[in-house]
Amino acid sequence: MSNKAHATHDVILRVEDVTKKFPAPGGQELTACSHVSFNVRAGETVAIVGESGCGKTTLLKTLMNIHPPTEGRILFHGEDVTKLTGEERRENYRHIQMVFQDPTAAFDPKMRIRDIICEPLENFGEVRADEKEEKARALLRQVELPEDFTDRYPHNMSGGQRQRVAIARALALSPEVIACDEATSALDVSVQDRIIRLLVRLQEEKGIAYVFICHDLALVSLFAHRVVIMYLGHVMERIAGAELQQACHPYTQALLRSVFSTDMEKNQHISVLPGEIPSPLDIPVGCPFQTRCPVARDICHRESPGLREIAPGHFVACHEPQAPLA
Amino acid sequence: MLLDVSHLEISYAQKGKEPKPTVHDVTFSLEKGEVLAIVGESGSGKTTVIRALLGCLPVGGQMTGGMASFDGQDLRTLPEKGWQKLRGRDISMIFQDSGSMMNPVQTIGHQYVEFLRTHEKMTKSEARAMAVEKLALMNLPSPEHIMDSYAFELSGGMRQRVGIAMAITFQPKLLLADEPTSALDVTTQAQIAGELTYVTRGLGTAMIIVTHNIGLAAALSDRILVMAGGRVVEYGASQEVMEHPQADYTKSLLASVPEIGGRRYVE
Repeated sequence: MSNKAHATHDVILRVEDVTKKFPAPGGQELTACSHVSFNVRAGETVAIVGESGCGKTTLLKTLMNIHPPTEGRILFHGEDVTKLTGEERRENYRHIQMVFQDPTAAFDPKMRIRDIICEPLENFGEVRADEKEEKARALLRQVELPEDFTDRYPHNMSGGQRQRVAIARALALSPEVIACDEATSALDVSVQDRIIRLLVRLQEEKGIAYVFICHDLALVSLFAHRVVIMYLGHVMERIAGAELQQACHPYTQALLRSVFSTDMEKNQHISVLPGEIPSPLDIPVGCPFQTRCPVARDICHRESPGLREIAPGHFVACHEPQAPLA
Repeated sequence: MLLDVSHLEISYAQKGKEPKPTVHDVTFSLEKGEVLAIVGESGSGKTTVIRALLGCLPVGGQMTGGMASFDGQDLRTLPEKGWQKLRGRDISMIFQDSGSMMNPVQTIGHQYVEFLRTHEKMTKSEARAMAVEKLALMNLPSPEHIMDSYAFELSGGMRQRVGIAMAITFQPKLLLADEPTSALDVTTQAQIAGELTYVTRGLGTAMIIVTHNIGLAAALSDRILVMAGGRVVEYGASQEVMEHPQADYTKSLLASVPEIGGRRYVE
């Protein structure tokens, strides 16, 4: 196991021009992800945001090597993991682990917490039977759960506690990257708050990078170092999390304007993005967002806008970038 | 006063034991056209309260103390016949996913027409025309096409619109909404919030919305009731509760709501 430097800024994971197509009935092709690129640095959180059907889960599955991309590469420390097969591919999972939205569905209900947490270690032959209890206790401590939870079953715990167990399991192999698919969406806000604090603490201590799929823009703006906004399989904008309010893609702005706030004043400015995301079987020619875009013009129906860097680290795919909202 | 609930207690029967109250001492009232939001975390009893108001608590659940009266009728003593008159007409409900209350093997139109004809004497074609008209009110594109669709063919937002259209068909006095936008994307959530605003502010329907999205509650409601552990911890005008929360619980709840431009978790 390598010793990882704390919060260095080395790129550890490169997603390069990843396209994923699925065959659809009638000889059609469904394009779930189209030319997606971004980097993940050590100790950094990259959030992927978008409506359902925007391809974020497909992207994460590609990242996790659950299915190969149609085109493009995913480089982990310079090595294309999508080409790995057999034992090498399995070994790769030491470094990249996953936390799911619903921990109840992610656990075997008949396994005790000890066995759940230690299963990744057993898969890689890293724990002896007589060490399991001790290992599990140490991992439970890290996620701030009582050590005597090792004997429990998942159904004896609350949703927040189960999500902590899921995090403990993901931590077991000391991975460099943890992919979280809506990991806090099913939790109450106060529980979400504590889980996010835990994730941040672990990140600071261990230099873990998170790829965090989320549809809560407010949360993302407070937690992510960088944000990738996707629509219909395309990256619309890439921006620093702290600067999310400076977003200038009409779609990102529409998302920001849809978020309700506890500030009654801000709720006066809610505006509704009409319509729905079109079918990924029938992506329009030109900009994918043209059918709902309030500022679309001729060129948007002809040419697909590529990502352009308009400020350091801020990329936009739009022919008509808007002035920031705030 | 449209709805008057005072010191309401709700209990579930347990085998061989005295029923234990899960909701204690809930008091609030609702005027015509007013919107109340009940917020709280899972298990706080917020859904139990509105289910009691629709007379559809899960098996073993009943109102065991206090009182609840709707439009002058005592809901605690209302016979089943009375409930049947009330439900779907004067009080109706929308759920988190309206799709799951629909029959998956019947078209939307079939179910809508059946629902209308259960409550009102009308021919099938009259019912169909009425259904199409109500669907159009909810900004559903091509309502005729929706009538011939199955629930699974519609998106979550469209299903929710169908649910709201059905719920407001008979211009109920009170609409109960149980987490109506929780399963939706932010953009669709804002759309559905728009439809609900039309129903309450445009049509004058009173509404109780149960949600864990405190921002949404603040945006839609006149008053907010905060619940925790089956009790009311705070109740007041929405603006007042949001800006000057009194209970410590409300304060910490509000502090944990992520806000754009709020304090970041990371540098």
